[in-house]
Amino acid sequence: MLEIKNLHVVVEEDGTEILKGVNLKINEGEIHAIMGPNGSGKSTLAKVVAGHDAYEVTEGDILFEGESILEMDPDERAHLGLFLAFQYPVEVPGVTNKTLLREAYNTIAEKRGREELDPLEFEDYVNDRLDIVEMKPEFLDRSINAGFSGGEKKRNEIFQMAVLDPKISFLDETDSGLDIDALKVVAKGINYLADEDNAVCLVTHYQRILDYIVPDHVHVMLDGKIVKSGDKDLAVKLEDEGYDWLTDLASVSVNGEQ
Amino acid sequence: MSNKSTHDTFLSDLLARETSLNGTSTTIKKLRQKGFEDVQKLSFPGRKDEDWRFINLRDLYSDSFIPASQVEYTLPDISEYFISESKQARLVFINGQFSAEHSATDALPEEITIGNIADLADDGNGLVEKHLNEYGDFEDDIFSSFNTAMLQDGAFIHVPEGIKVETPVQILFVQTDAYEPYFTTSRCLVLAEKDSELTLVEDHVGLGNNKYFSLPVVEINLEQKAYVKHTKIQRESKEAIHIARTAAHVKQHANYESYTITLGAKLSRNEPRITQLEEEVEFTVDGLVLIDGDQVSDTHSVMDHRFSFCESHQLHKCVINGNAHSVFNGKIFVRKDAQRIDSFQENRNLLLSRKGLVNTKPQLEIFADDVVCTHGATIGQLEEDEVFYLKSRGLNDHQARELLTYAFALETIENITVDSVQKLLVDEVHNYTSRTLDKQPVS
Repeated sequence: MLEIKNLHVVVEEDGTEILKGVNLKINEGEIHAIMGPNGSGKSTLAKVVAGHDAYEVTEGDILFEGESILEMDPDERAHLGLFLAFQYPVEVPGVTNKTLLREAYNTIAEKRGREELDPLEFEDYVNDRLDIVEMKPEFLDRSINAGFSGGEKKRNEIFQMAVLDPKISFLDETDSGLDIDALKVVAKGINYLADEDNAVCLVTHYQRILDYIVPDHVHVMLDGKIVKSGDKDLAVKLEDEGYDWLTDLASVSVNGEQ
Repeated sequence: MSNKSTHDTFLSDLLARETSLNGTSTTIKKLRQKGFEDVQKLSFPGRKDEDWRFINLRDLYSDSFIPASQVEYTLPDISEYFISESKQARLVFINGQFSAEHSATDALPEEITIGNIADLADDGNGLVEKHLNEYGDFEDDIFSSFNTAMLQDGAFIHVPEGIKVETPVQILFVQTDAYEPYFTTSRCLVLAEKDSELTLVEDHVGLGNNKYFSLPVVEINLEQKAYVKHTKIQRESKEAIHIARTAAHVKQHANYESYTITLGAKLSRNEPRITQLEEEVEFTVDGLVLIDGDQVSDTHSVMDHRFSFCESHQLHKCVINGNAHSVFNGKIFVRKDAQRIDSFQENRNLLLSRKGLVNTKPQLEIFADDVVCTHGATIGQLEEDEVFYLKSRGLNDHQARELLTYAFALETIENITVDSVQKLLVDEVHNYTSRTLDKQPVS
């Protein structure tokens, strides 16, 4: 479904290279986890896939269903079925969740050839989805993330995912800042939404969320590269031993390239 | 150098037109005479005047204006400008002249007096005689004096003690299209007696894209426990010059709430002046400005706290696109011994283009010590993080920017309690964003 090939990315403003040749393939029905210490480039990868314009791709490609998406704007990528749950969801005072979601849902529906929903139909559709993340209907009439607690913001991201029904979702540190109960709710929601036709990629610092969401593939990112891939046992090993045993691996491959 | 010589022709030109005014009562004649004398003593301002240094009045002085009463026009159907809630609660003025044909006041309680100032004065109405020109305390202000010198038709509303008027009253000032630039002055006098309530929608509409000079003066007096909600919508022609004064006097336990919405005119200047006359008073002077192209909007406000215990609120929001220019100067006075004042002032500017310009100046003069006055001014663009967030949800660039601009403007609009006015303004915001955002994307 999604294929990232030898992706090199620099920060547009100052040219700092963040991603140094990332390769990753995600198929339908799979759950992936990308782990790595702070600054390894995993959040950048998620943002680049979503089309953030603070980054420039200098080499490589991102293919979605076989087509390059590099030239596409973030909204066009969303229309294809890409979704990013933000690490720091943005507060938008004055725009209600409902307004955003209806406009977003109908725009995507139109692009994907689905039927648009009128306000009443949309209300029904959305109310069903609220239960997935145990949110109250009042949430809909509140301004997007304005005054939300950290946990509410993260749940709202998963709620948006539930409403927009993407094909592939990158969840950027969705577990950070959540207490254990909130984490369980979020994980339950993600498990509910993950199915045979879509894919999920968890970007996370900690193994904790993987106690609740079992990934098919685990990748370790260090210094802008995926240095090791494995199954769920790799995550357990990282939790026990940290990233140190992998750093040699990273420097070898970086040196090997130079 | 005095501006007098520079603008002499302009002045004498305008004053020479004084002959053809409505209203023959001595009240009005006396006031006109006084206004005329005051104008002779004063000068029209120029850029050397501190209060006018940010804007250029060249467009005002460069043309000769004929009186609006001399404009020949064929009036189109203007009913689209009538607010549905005010069906039988409306006064209409066309080019400054009262239009009985378009006005209707049957929905209003019979206790209230509402009508044309000149007619009421001709009929010897004591309230007009007593109160007219008593509240527009703009010192040495040539524009309000000029308005007085030209005094004729205008709106008069008197709400007697204890009467709460549920129907909003629309005062509609329509300016027609014309070949020649014309000037028009209008007056509005509202007297809210003790324990009365009134919702007022002051609406200035330009029918064409022509140049004219509109100079309205509004006077409002709130007696004790009176509550007046005043929404002003300025949607003049895009070539018009609109220089307005609004004065409100507020007495004990009274509440004056005003929302001024600026959409039209090439050059507009609003000067709201709220004066607290007794202890324990509340007032609000919010504003929303949406300008683009070469539009200039200037707000010079005065919140004059003269006695203790006052809560005042001013949120002035501006959206600026193209080469538009927004000026805000908000004076807050707290007089000596006016303690326990809680005053909030904020001017927030959203710049959508690189060439837009903002001048903002909060000005606090506080002579009491037990006072809370917060004030602030911000100038910013749309947050790119917010735009990206919305785009990642599938909204295109335009939708995202429109939604964020709309959200910025909404804070003022949602306080307006007249539904159709709120809806009208929501539509205006949509018009504004669809008109302006496509033209000039901000990177």
